[in-house]
Amino acid sequence: MIAALSFALSSLAFAQDSRESVEADVSTRRIAIESDFSGVRILLFGAVENSTQTAPEDGLYDLAIVIEGPREELIVRRKSKVAGIWVNTEANPYKAVPSYYAIISTRPVHEIARTQLLKWLGIGFDQIKLLAVGKFEDGEEKNFRESIIRIKETQGLYRKAEHGVAFIGSSLFRATIDLPANVSVGEFSARVHLFRDGAYLNSYNTQLNLQREGFERLVYTFAFEYPFFYGVAAVILAVLAGLAATAIFKRD
Amino acid sequence: MQIYLPIAELSVNAFVILGMGGAVGFLSGMFGVGGGFLMTPLLIFSGIPSSVAVATEANQIVASSVSGAVAQWQRNNVDIKLGTVLLVGGIVGATFGVQIVKVLRELGQVDLIIALSYVTFLGTIGTLMLIESLNAIRKSRAGEPVAARKSGQHNWIHGLPFKMRFKRSKLYISAIPPLLLGAFVGLLAAIMGVGGGFVMVPAMIYLLRVPTNVVVGTSLFQIVFVTAVTTILHATQNQTVDAVLAMMLMVGGVIGAQFGVRVGQRLRGEQLRALLAILVLGVCARLAYNLVAMPGELYSIGPAFGGH
Repeated sequence: MIAALSFALSSLAFAQDSRESVEADVSTRRIAIESDFSGVRILLFGAVENSTQTAPEDGLYDLAIVIEGPREELIVRRKSKVAGIWVNTEANPYKAVPSYYAIISTRPVHEIARTQLLKWLGIGFDQIKLLAVGKFEDGEEKNFRESIIRIKETQGLYRKAEHGVAFIGSSLFRATIDLPANVSVGEFSARVHLFRDGAYLNSYNTQLNLQREGFERLVYTFAFEYPFFYGVAAVILAVLAGLAATAIFKRD
Repeated sequence: MQIYLPIAELSVNAFVILGMGGAVGFLSGMFGVGGGFLMTPLLIFSGIPSSVAVATEANQIVASSVSGAVAQWQRNNVDIKLGTVLLVGGIVGATFGVQIVKVLRELGQVDLIIALSYVTFLGTIGTLMLIESLNAIRKSRAGEPVAARKSGQHNWIHGLPFKMRFKRSKLYISAIPPLLLGAFVGLLAAIMGVGGGFVMVPAMIYLLRVPTNVVVGTSLFQIVFVTAVTTILHATQNQTVDAVLAMMLMVGGVIGAQFGVRVGQRLRGEQLRALLAILVLGVCARLAYNLVAMPGELYSIGPAFGGH
């Protein structure tokens, strides 16, 4: 009896040990915005533990990686025509909107898993939690929500890379994350989800941090924390620049 | 070469910005104007948020006006007393203007008001200038003499209370008109990011009857101080002054102005004014079009204020 039980338990343990899991990391955990920041590409890499695929082309496993940027409060406004001119007539505030949202996957996510599963894991633009503050008229909430996603997509801040993850070996994979120049600073989370045959196996979370460094940080901090002195400095610089210009071109 | 603008929060091509500063500087040197009324719309057309364009341009105008003001002062062309009265009014006007911009930003209507102000301002000035310069061209072709304006003649404006003696301008007039004029120009500087010389110079000549040789210098004197105060107020109240952008515009601007002055010396006054009028009306038309044309995207997103 005991022997049978322990055999059953150990085979369960054996089954657990051989179940696949995923681990991942990013090439740079701390990214700095400097004066020439025009966007940055980060490498995300990882491995599937206990992988049973023999070659990278097998396509046995699927990965869906969701990168989310720091959350912000924003106001969505809509224009309508007033006396012939287009004017902002409605405004709705939203809390906790991700400033960046990217889905990077081995295949289009709706091919990887069923909608219910994607929904449960929070994968997809329609799964982004957008908290509206205040009331909407009928049907308008959907329009406002869609406008946030559409505008962010145009700005390059909400994006999809449907074949952005590739296996290099039987367990090693890599993906590139593109952060455009207009991205917000702060903490970014990367959730890596592993699937096989449409079934969810495992997840792994990692973070990266985007900050302003160097001259950019100096100017930004100065402008927002000591605004009066920043203004005075800007004026002094302008006066000096004007006088310098006169001195340089003095031949007239 | 891309540069990230910390306040405007976007990446721009440094050469494009220098070029823009140079082009407007060239035009300002050629026509003898400040250029703020051209530069601010140009910045807005380039994607810089309206309130940042206005505040940053005020900063740049300090630089471009300083050299002119100093040059005029060295030639004793500045009525300091009158200039001071003008700038006191200007500071009051600018303070109001910056507060108005702050409230408009919170209401989400700042782009609209700045655009409407520009359409009104540029439309009026452009039309008046076009009419005046076309008349002058017509008259000079017909050989008619252009009537000289007489300074020193008093009108009802001069008779208002609080009279002061302005020796350099040979005027004994009420202090109220210059205060109000300064205040109006200060308001324009804060809301539209212009120096205001456009309004100040004709008003000083026709309304205050200041002698022509003192007008430009005194006007520049006022502009330097009022745009400096406007810059500091915008920085403190709205945090919309982008010093990196301003510096690039300044560099382009002073270089362009040098070339512009040289080219401008080869054209006649009336011709220059007619060309400038056409340019002003062109910018006005573009801004008006943007207001009435259906935008591609009806929705816009912006930061929430007060919850910083």
